[in-house]
Amino acid sequence: MAEGVLSPGVNLEAFSQAITAIQALRSSVTRVFDCLKDGMRNKETLEGREKGFVAAFQESLHSVSRDLGELERLSNLVGKPSENHPLHNSGLLSLDPVQDKTPLYSQLLQAYKWSNKLQYHAGLASGLLNQQSLKRSANQMGVSAKRRPKAQPTTLVLPPQYVDDVINRIDRMFPEMSIQLSRPNGTSAMLLVTLGKVLKVIVVMRSLFIDRTIVKGYNENVYTEDGKLDIWSKSNYQVFQKVTDHATTALLHYQLPQMPDVVVRSFMTWLRSYIKLFQAPCQRCGKFLQDGLPPTWRDFRTLEAFHDTCRQ
Amino acid sequence: MGVTCVAQVPVAEGKSVQQTVEILTRKLELLGAEKQGTFCVDCETYHTAASTMGNQGQTGKLMYVMHNSEYPLSCFALFENGPCLIADANFDILMVKLKGFFQNAKANKIESRGTRYQYCDFLVKVGTVTMGPSARGISVEVEYCPCVIANDCWNLLIEFMQSFMGSHTPGIPSVFGTKHDSIYSPADTMVQYMELFNKIRKQQQVPVAGIR
Repeated sequence: MAEGVLSPGVNLEAFSQAITAIQALRSSVTRVFDCLKDGMRNKETLEGREKGFVAAFQESLHSVSRDLGELERLSNLVGKPSENHPLHNSGLLSLDPVQDKTPLYSQLLQAYKWSNKLQYHAGLASGLLNQQSLKRSANQMGVSAKRRPKAQPTTLVLPPQYVDDVINRIDRMFPEMSIQLSRPNGTSAMLLVTLGKVLKVIVVMRSLFIDRTIVKGYNENVYTEDGKLDIWSKSNYQVFQKVTDHATTALLHYQLPQMPDVVVRSFMTWLRSYIKLFQAPCQRCGKFLQDGLPPTWRDFRTLEAFHDTCRQ
Repeated sequence: MGVTCVAQVPVAEGKSVQQTVEILTRKLELLGAEKQGTFCVDCETYHTAASTMGNQGQTGKLMYVMHNSEYPLSCFALFENGPCLIADANFDILMVKLKGFFQNAKANKIESRGTRYQYCDFLVKVGTVTMGPSARGISVEVEYCPCVIANDCWNLLIEFMQSFMGSHTPGIPSVFGTKHDSIYSPADTMVQYMELFNKIRKQQQVPVAGIR
């Protein structure tokens, strides 16, 4: 049996056996209902009728339980099905037979659960904090939250259509910014944002939460050799590596778990200020260059340009 | 490929071309620029052959065929104020075949050779311009690689050039004026080199003209 689990050939055979077992089970269940439907057959005595019926019923129930037992035995051989897994392709990790050496899948599940829980708690905390906040600006935030429909979805599972709508609206908001949405890996969206003729940004989303962003030059290649968006390699230019760092900081800054669409919009508004990356002098020192880099930092509130070292 | 500015730096008083180049490169190295090999830009001049000219009043146009070590597989052919053709490197062989229409003015061959420096996202090439055996001047090319729109980063380029060229920082190149918001291309760099070479040639031709 242990061999059967490990070797894929036998596993396939178990599959076909299991299908046969399912067929057998279905036919035996049908027989039970047939028997019930037919009721007692004509026999000389009432007692004989009852006896015959009970015996037939018992016999067909036995065969059902036998077939079910067989199916259960086979299903153990087949292993767990991975289709329609909520984690999509990462669910395939569960097929790795060497669980002890690579416990990736269980770790992944743990992380997923943890992240969901964190999201939930963060949502609760933010709701509480909004009610009793000290800052005036945050109060306004609370007011606008009340004006919004309460039905804003806060979980990680949002319909792709909703995400598309939000992104489309942002795309129309900024004429100098074009956003191209694609879903190469399941439901998670990837955005390619082109800002004027200055830079390109790859944004990896999980529903409406931004997971990762990479900034590259306008003339740099953002695709891998097989034509997919290259979400791993960094820019060749120091200035865009710096902007990537700042964009990651911005992701952590713009957090509002109850209104993920506002977060995306604020992030894009902030990102748009880089249209003047090479044209704006630093607001503190008044110069363009410091250590060979232009002012790469944009203030989160005022969107003013600063050098990395001038921003404090 | 970023935005590039090509400029001429005059030879310092009482110094040779070589010494002036050394002063420049030392400033760059003090700034923190790293040496990255050498570079070469050359330019050959072609006259349109007399036999092909129809009208009496028409003057022969000059065509320049240039190479740039930054684009080793390409060859650039330009007319003054005219179009620029970017071709494969074996365009030179084609020009030999076209001897009947374009004649190579061998004596006019001019080139700039020197060292290539990198500082952050800047590329700086300081070269000695030679025509025949003699050194005629100094060229400085500064490229800001991340940017593709010339007018966007001109202020930034100027600030960088001031840091090592001081009072010899050039004005805005004429090719920038016509670019507006279009993308800067390698051909624009070659046009700047062509203009620089023409300027240097003319500087030298004044005293030579009397001898001829």
